[in-house]
Amino acid sequence: MSQIEIGRLLRASTTGCVVGCKVANHSVLSFGEMVVVPLDEKITIYGLIYEINIDDDGLVRQLATAENINPAVIEDNRVNRSVPLEVSALFLGHSQGVKILHSLPPRPPLSLDAIYPLTETQVIEFTRAGHFGYFRHILRDPDLPIAEILSAHIRNVASVQAKHHPEWIQDATREIITLLRDDYATLNSVLNALADIDQYK
Amino acid sequence: MTEPDQESIGYIVGGGLKDNLRVRLTLPPQKVQEGAFVVIESGDWQFYGLTTDLQLGSTDPRFADEQSEQRLPVELASLLHGQTLYTNLEILPALMRERGPDPASPDYQAWRDAHQDDPPLLPIKTIPSHHAPVRLAGAADVADIFGKPEKKENFPIGTTREQDHPVCLNLDKFVQRSSGIFGATGTGKSYLTRIILSGLIHYDKTSTLILDMHNEYGLDDTSTDTNQRVIGLKSRFHSKVRIVGLGREGSIRGQNSDFNLEISEDDIRTADIEMLISELNLRETTPASLEGLYQSFRDKWFHEFKAMQIGSEIEMERDGKRMKVPAPDSVAAWANQAGVNVTAAEGLRGKMNRVFDLPYIVEKPAANGLDEIIKCLEAGMHVILSFGSHESDLDYLLVSNLLTRRIRETWERKTNQFRSGKGNEPRPLVIVVEEAHKLLNREMAAQTAFASIAREMRKYYVTLLIIDQRPSQIYDEVMSQLGTRVSGWLGDEDDIRAVLAGLAGRDALRGMLARLQPKEEVLMLGWGVPMPILIRSRRYDDKFWEELLGKKSSVKSESQLKKELGF
Repeated sequence: MSQIEIGRLLRASTTGCVVGCKVANHSVLSFGEMVVVPLDEKITIYGLIYEINIDDDGLVRQLATAENINPAVIEDNRVNRSVPLEVSALFLGHSQGVKILHSLPPRPPLSLDAIYPLTETQVIEFTRAGHFGYFRHILRDPDLPIAEILSAHIRNVASVQAKHHPEWIQDATREIITLLRDDYATLNSVLNALADIDQYK
Repeated sequence: MTEPDQESIGYIVGGGLKDNLRVRLTLPPQKVQEGAFVVIESGDWQFYGLTTDLQLGSTDPRFADEQSEQRLPVELASLLHGQTLYTNLEILPALMRERGPDPASPDYQAWRDAHQDDPPLLPIKTIPSHHAPVRLAGAADVADIFGKPEKKENFPIGTTREQDHPVCLNLDKFVQRSSGIFGATGTGKSYLTRIILSGLIHYDKTSTLILDMHNEYGLDDTSTDTNQRVIGLKSRFHSKVRIVGLGREGSIRGQNSDFNLEISEDDIRTADIEMLISELNLRETTPASLEGLYQSFRDKWFHEFKAMQIGSEIEMERDGKRMKVPAPDSVAAWANQAGVNVTAAEGLRGKMNRVFDLPYIVEKPAANGLDEIIKCLEAGMHVILSFGSHESDLDYLLVSNLLTRRIRETWERKTNQFRSGKGNEPRPLVIVVEEAHKLLNREMAAQTAFASIAREMRKYYVTLLIIDQRPSQIYDEVMSQLGTRVSGWLGDEDDIRAVLAGLAGRDALRGMLARLQPKEEVLMLGWGVPMPILIRSRRYDDKFWEELLGKKSSVKSESQLKKELGF
């Protein structure tokens, strides 16, 4: 597991969680990135970042309309800000010991549990386990920007898998097409998003 | 190692016995063609079927409508097409055979012990499961169903279209029932007939009588299409084949026949003339007039009627008055005496002039050609009756029917003798009839010997091989009796329907017949073959003869020649 802590859990359910992060970690967060939350000694939950929120507070509102703000004030507001970045993650599966399952965790993690990015090895292991069963969690929620999440996820994972399993991107795309072939509109938007991935250009 | 043609081409996705099976093709559609012979393995069973249709499909019609390759990167579009666009095969299931468990499984030995012989082929009674793999039939499958070419009774008639595996016609079965070779003009019927006849003659379990209306089969010829030499059956089978010329000259394109056929006037029966009602434009009074003639003259009726004059009168005195009365040699005199309508009798006499003028019907033939032909056939020879210059429908109808009637009588008698233990088993005989619709149309079928041969002569060792380009003109009852049917391309819907009459799966096969290549592709189907199959027929060329007779077929040893000549 990566030792870089992204943040700590604000709230969670069995399908996902919201993590509070320091602004300092802003640059390491990315949409479509995979994360892990150790639940206990045996269980680790795998998730996927699908939203990053930056909320305002009273001071930010005032500063936003002030004139000639000192850069030091802006920097101070960002670094010492009391309102964290909110990162929403979707749970894709969990592991029990060495066994990786693309099913939801038995229970949600607790508040203030730490959340970490995946190592390359973890990405490879999780995305090659099963047969892309975790895609169903992404496709389940019609309110999510599915096309963008999938293309970002595939871009991220493909860059890791390219060295070890270059066929992964085709297999994943094929699976997405199979899962969405009865939903012409969604599949079209996903394919349009995938078309931007370097491997397909 | 798996043979290339043993690889799966798709898997079952639906269908049934009535609607055929649907197979999702996993190859590009161009890799499989209509008519392909496929094998489906499912559980302990192996199924055999024929591809009858290919259909493009899509999971959503919009995927098919939109040319996504213009909008998406090539690889992505290819993946999309692979998952959303597909080809379905329609398979006509025909046969099934139990194959037992996997030979590697522990259950196999127990199954093998219970099935010492290979389980038989069965007509299709059930269907394979969903997702059962489908593959093109390999050489072993084709041999398994249609017979191994090494066996003498299995005559390779062509090859499967895709993989070129030899497809055999079981000649034993072929001659057990009447058969037909069909195809529009120019589709190679004559070549196919030559090939099958060569097989029959070479196999030598049956005699054949070929009614060669157009003088095609006996002697070497030149193809009208290619201007190449076409070998005649006589050239290859020598003394096994007798060429009979019709008439005293009896030459065929300037070449002499083995012997000639002249017909005695006494051999003509009134029924032979009744059969010509349409050809001679006879009236409905004809049967009564003919019956009167037969009652008056018996077997000499033809000779006597021929000698009668129409309208000849003599003057004679009656009751003191001179009056004209029919001359004693007139038709009217005979009609009055026999109680037959004079006008009808005179009309018949006039119309029969065409028959009386036929040069090969004579009072006393130089030799009994009819008996000679029958003797040859009984002796296991093959007779080709060439009509020479007598190529009119009248010649063909009259002579064919007369000859066939004699054969039927002879073979019936021989069979009855054999069954009562007083004679040898008759040699099976195949009568080859060209332009069959002329003899077997609805009007003629009841009057000629051919219809009864097609219907019932199987029991008497005589069957027909009919060759025709208009099968729809042949009487349904005769068509339905045909065992093996071999058909080239047919364009007319009625002809296609006629060829497929009485067969299972005819709806699926109909389109296939209409889409055959105009030459060399034939559909073989019917009782005589285990299942319908589309084949590329063999070419009738030197290679064919080499394969059939061996390379040195044309050079015969002295002892062989002497044997054939009867020394």
